[in-house]
Amino acid sequence: MKDLRLHFLKGDILAIAAVVVLAVGLLIFFVPKGDTAGGAVQVYQDGKLLREFPLNTDESFEINGDYHNTLEIRNGKVAITHSDCPGGDCLSSGWIGTAGRSIVCLPNRVEIRIVGKSDVDFVVG
Amino acid sequence: MGTTKRLTLSAVMIALALALSYAERLIPLQFVIPLPGVKLGLANIVTLVALYLLGARSAFIILCIRCLLGSMFGGGITGLAFSLTGGLLAMLTMTCGRKCKPLSVYGVSILGAAAHNIGQICAAMVLMRSYYVAAYLPYLLLVGLFTGFATAAAVAGVLKILSAERFGFSETSNRTQNTEETI
Repeated sequence: MKDLRLHFLKGDILAIAAVVVLAVGLLIFFVPKGDTAGGAVQVYQDGKLLREFPLNTDESFEINGDYHNTLEIRNGKVAITHSDCPGGDCLSSGWIGTAGRSIVCLPNRVEIRIVGKSDVDFVVG
Repeated sequence: MGTTKRLTLSAVMIALALALSYAERLIPLQFVIPLPGVKLGLANIVTLVALYLLGARSAFIILCIRCLLGSMFGGGITGLAFSLTGGLLAMLTMTCGRKCKPLSVYGVSILGAAAHNIGQICAAMVLMRSYYVAAYLPYLLLVGLFTGFATAAAVAGVLKILSAERFGFSETSNRTQNTEETI
């Protein structure tokens, strides 16, 4: 076998640096602007806004589609508490409450997004 | 390497990749890192070994058949779209990385993991019709650094053993027999 290069090389540091730069760049790009306190929960399915709830009122909501997600708002935080989707990634996302955070259920094409107080005014549900 | 040997090896590697991608579903990594789509990428060990041992063409075929069969056993069409966009982009990146002299198997694997994440997020953006899913990408990329490094270590181990002449992967088969006699 010729030239397998199985040992860590200096060039690999460049590869790692490139990935880190890309990750940090994206992280900065997606940082929520303005107020980080969550104001409202937006529920998207297929890229369309399905419903919007204020974060300060406790609420429970069923999302239907190919699968079923149960969304719950409690104490200013939101989580998917029940889901029959394969994988259950949305369940393990846990409770989120800050603006810019989101929960995604790919099999059901559902996205739950928290927006800041300042973002809420111009969104019509 | 003869055609028969290449064919047999490819078949074994497809089976191995399928078994690994099934086995890694049993490892609940998303409980440690609660992000959708976080996984170890164990099947990429096979893709990398194939790329280094059999070349890009065979590795490409192994990858495609693995994704196709994987979607039949579970995952469906959506799963196929995801594994193929991620897998093919990773394959392309790793083939280029393999040709890049300053990169070892570690760099190739890490770039492959990153490309895989980018491909999957692109597929997710199309599926969800939302660019917002890309907010997950930085976290996936950072996790990918570690999983990419871990798979590279596994690949390096496998290749070190397989490239030893007694396994018959060296350029000349005569020398293989000689070593076997000395052992």
